[in-house]
Amino acid sequence: MSFVIDRIFGTISAVGAYAIGGVRAALELWMVFVGTIAGIWRMYGRRGARRPAGALVEQMHIIGNRSLLFIVVTIGFIGMVMIYQACLQFSRAVGDLSQVGVQFLRLIVSDLGPTLTAMMLSTRVGAGIAAEIGSMKVTEQVDALRMSGVLPVDYLLVPRFLASIVMTLGLSILGCAIMYGAGGLTAWLSFEVNPRVFFDVSMVRPRHLILGLMKALAYGAAIPIVSGFCGLRARGSSEGVGWATTAAVVGSSFAVISIDFLLSVGALWLLGGDL
Amino acid sequence: MLGENAITNIGSRAVAVSRELGGITILFAQILRALVPPRLDTRELVKNLHKMGNRSVPIVALTAFFTGGLMVVQAAPFVQRLQATSLAGWAAGYAVLREVGPILIALMFSGRVGANNTAELGTMTVTEQLDGLRALAIDPIRYLIVPRVVSMMVMLVCLTVIGDLIALLGAMLVAKAVLDIEFGIMYASFVENLAPEDFLHGVYKSLAFGLSIAVTSCYFGVTVRGGAVGVGRAVNAAVVAAAVSVMLLDFFLTYLNV
Repeated sequence: MSFVIDRIFGTISAVGAYAIGGVRAALELWMVFVGTIAGIWRMYGRRGARRPAGALVEQMHIIGNRSLLFIVVTIGFIGMVMIYQACLQFSRAVGDLSQVGVQFLRLIVSDLGPTLTAMMLSTRVGAGIAAEIGSMKVTEQVDALRMSGVLPVDYLLVPRFLASIVMTLGLSILGCAIMYGAGGLTAWLSFEVNPRVFFDVSMVRPRHLILGLMKALAYGAAIPIVSGFCGLRARGSSEGVGWATTAAVVGSSFAVISIDFLLSVGALWLLGGDL
Repeated sequence: MLGENAITNIGSRAVAVSRELGGITILFAQILRALVPPRLDTRELVKNLHKMGNRSVPIVALTAFFTGGLMVVQAAPFVQRLQATSLAGWAAGYAVLREVGPILIALMFSGRVGANNTAELGTMTVTEQLDGLRALAIDPIRYLIVPRVVSMMVMLVCLTVIGDLIALLGAMLVAKAVLDIEFGIMYASFVENLAPEDFLHGVYKSLAFGLSIAVTSCYFGVTVRGGAVGVGRAVNAAVVAAAVSVMLLDFFLTYLNV
């Protein structure tokens, strides 16, 4: 009997510990976000603030330019696959492929382009940020920063945050273009859809562009915050860095998917069938 | 001067990529060789199956649920405009089973399990535990890597099957909440429009994804150099390589099958 009771209490306390850990992590994540926003003001809003020279440009280079080839390759291939599957289904079900390009563009601009680009960026950029900050944390460089009177969030996260927002926007636009181009090429070569019919932009309206850009902005903000938070939580030695990097990839990918879901449902709720 | 620099840069990048591709191929050959008399360390295998599979179910289930819901949300404008409720199940189910489900689950798996595996093997490499095994005349490939590769392949397939089911359930729930389509109509639409091939297409893709994630993550794990910083860099390289290989495999497998 006491065995059963112990078991039940054990389960309850495990669930409770899990919940407390989750709430504490969420609060900490929120504090990192608020700290970063405040840090932007401290670093760039005031005159005479001490800024690390060239940090923003360096981060933009690392996050944006270094991801260029990766994004082009992965997004290009996934664009080809998507349009291949779509053409296959349309030719079976409807038999008319003239609508594929128009609908595909609407889908790319308002969802697939920014989301898939951000999924790819959250593996590359998220892992990179967490690995870098996590290594600094376990080698006590973060504590050294704090000792010199510099807030680690200001020094480490603010440049990454700003650079990631700018570069995610840029790379999302590029991703859309590449996906659309690769899709058009596939439709032309494999299904003989005339490129003039495929590249028809008449269905895209400003609301689709705005929705896509809003998503890209939210992803760009979420990825460095989540991964920076995971990096700052790294403990131990090399194993801790590995854990932090794993958590950053999973956390930022999941953040991308859930933001996508929330914004898509919100837009559908606001606009209904007009979307 | 600038041109020369750029050419040197491209050349050294190309050499680095080819070296890594070669290393991955050699590791793959060694794994196949180690499988020839199929002696698996059962305890290590079961441990890995549990750690990689069972522990990943929550994150995979959440991802799959949102994915299924998203596909319905994307199809919703048409469905509302055309009043064609049976289209929702077709579009969502087809996209989930064939493409989006396996890819997103594989990316999540690579983030959670692949990256973790690289970190673990990397830590063992950095702390010279692999050399320790070799000194005890235990083949690290047979003892450490083969069970991991086998369990990643098995578990990614299982997780994809579970994830497909949850994604379809998510699609039904979101269709009810957003479009007010009854569960029965969605179910009938799935049954009518989806064939077993659609499901199997996703499943055999996930087998290939599992293999590529496993081999790349093990490779980057055992070739780590340089302490904590090196482990971080290796994990980064492993997730990037896994993502690229998933996309490339997806492309080729889609073309081959039809």
